[in-house]
Amino acid sequence: MEIQWSLVLFTVLSGMGAWLAACIGIEEFRGKQRKVALPGSILAVVLLAIGGIISVSHLAHPLRVVAALSHPAPGIFLEALLLGILAVVIIIYAVLVAREISPAVRKVLGILMVLLAIAFTFACGSSYMMASRPAWNTILLPLAYLGTACASGTALALAMAAIRKEEEAAIKRAALFTVVGGIVAIITTVAYGAVSGSFESEGTLLILGCVVCGGIVPTVCGALALKRPNDAQMLGVIALICGVIGAISLRALMWIMGTPLDDYFGVEI
Amino acid sequence: MPHYAIVIDLNRCIGCHGCEIACKNENGIALGEDWNKVIDRGPFGDYPDLEMYYLPVMCQQCQNSPCTNVCPTGASYRDENTNVVLVNKEICIGCKYCMMACPYGVRAWNEEERVVEKCTLCSHLTVTGELPMCVRTCSAGARFYGDIDDPESDAAQALAAADEDSIHTLRESGNSPATHYILSPSRAAWKEGV
Repeated sequence: MEIQWSLVLFTVLSGMGAWLAACIGIEEFRGKQRKVALPGSILAVVLLAIGGIISVSHLAHPLRVVAALSHPAPGIFLEALLLGILAVVIIIYAVLVAREISPAVRKVLGILMVLLAIAFTFACGSSYMMASRPAWNTILLPLAYLGTACASGTALALAMAAIRKEEEAAIKRAALFTVVGGIVAIITTVAYGAVSGSFESEGTLLILGCVVCGGIVPTVCGALALKRPNDAQMLGVIALICGVIGAISLRALMWIMGTPLDDYFGVEI
Repeated sequence: MPHYAIVIDLNRCIGCHGCEIACKNENGIALGEDWNKVIDRGPFGDYPDLEMYYLPVMCQQCQNSPCTNVCPTGASYRDENTNVVLVNKEICIGCKYCMMACPYGVRAWNEEERVVEKCTLCSHLTVTGELPMCVRTCSAGARFYGDIDDPESDAAQALAAADEDSIHTLRESGNSPATHYILSPSRAAWKEGV
């Protein structure tokens, strides 16, 4: 099946933005203003917005897209809804951070950002769970979407923490998030690859790309940054680049593996 | 609710592709696009014990239709009177989600209008009591149209006249296709999948 690049980039960029927001949300519980909170929130919203715009470019009739919001159904509607809610929550959070007010509300919004990041990145993958495409019809697919988004988003948070010259403890925490994100990506992509048969198919290189680039490299970079916070900027950027490559690889793999139960007409989608 | 569908007697089908041509002419389907296609099944077996049959395939009018379940705009819908699965091209956004959800890959992409299309069971004809064009023109008399739950319909009668072990549907994944095929084991063994 042909790779739908606009949909690939949509979930890669918006997923990364969602998990960047999740990292900021977790860090909110430190109770101190962090240098990453405001620019990170803005970047997260920008990534969500760019992802959303790219997804609309997939449509043959983008001007009719509003109709998608008038017909609640799993899939596209849910993705759009969660993306919109997450963006609004981040914007409200960013305003509170900029004005340095309402720490209690910010904590609540931080929790919401984490929960919405999980729900949104899972929903992006669950949209493809359909019995007509056996390689997609496993809960491991949305988990792998979530895992690779988690790895790239936490890597972005590490890179930003280092670039914004956060204090060492904050950088180490970001590095720890990157390790966790990388491990989640390794587990979920290996599991999806095994169940979907990707290791024994034309998708072998891509699934290896998911595991190595999307999981192992961010994990190693995060672990190194934990030990050497001074190198966190370079390690964060490497983890970010590889995390994005891994996330793209997983989604490209999904399209390649997504043949119908019985394809009688052989129409390319 | 009725379950309008086509029943095809594969014992009679001669693989002339006449239904394909009739469908294209009636519905103005562009070159390279199909709403109905005749697939060669086989030959299977070892010489001289070979067998094959022809399998006309179109929208199977699934009773639990994945296409209508996933459509984000409701463009893929069930007609409230006939229960037939149709596409409202006016509100199709061209996301192709329904094409992904179809287990048989029998939806078509209209390149000119940039919307999804498929077999409508010639609803524009059946609404006035006529038969779908593929049924009307089948030179072998192999196609039967009607409500498969209505014992008086041609489709239900064709099924009633067939042996139970001769009645088949395409492989399903919980979608319950309403379209049925009749193929006697003495003619050829039914083969699952493409």
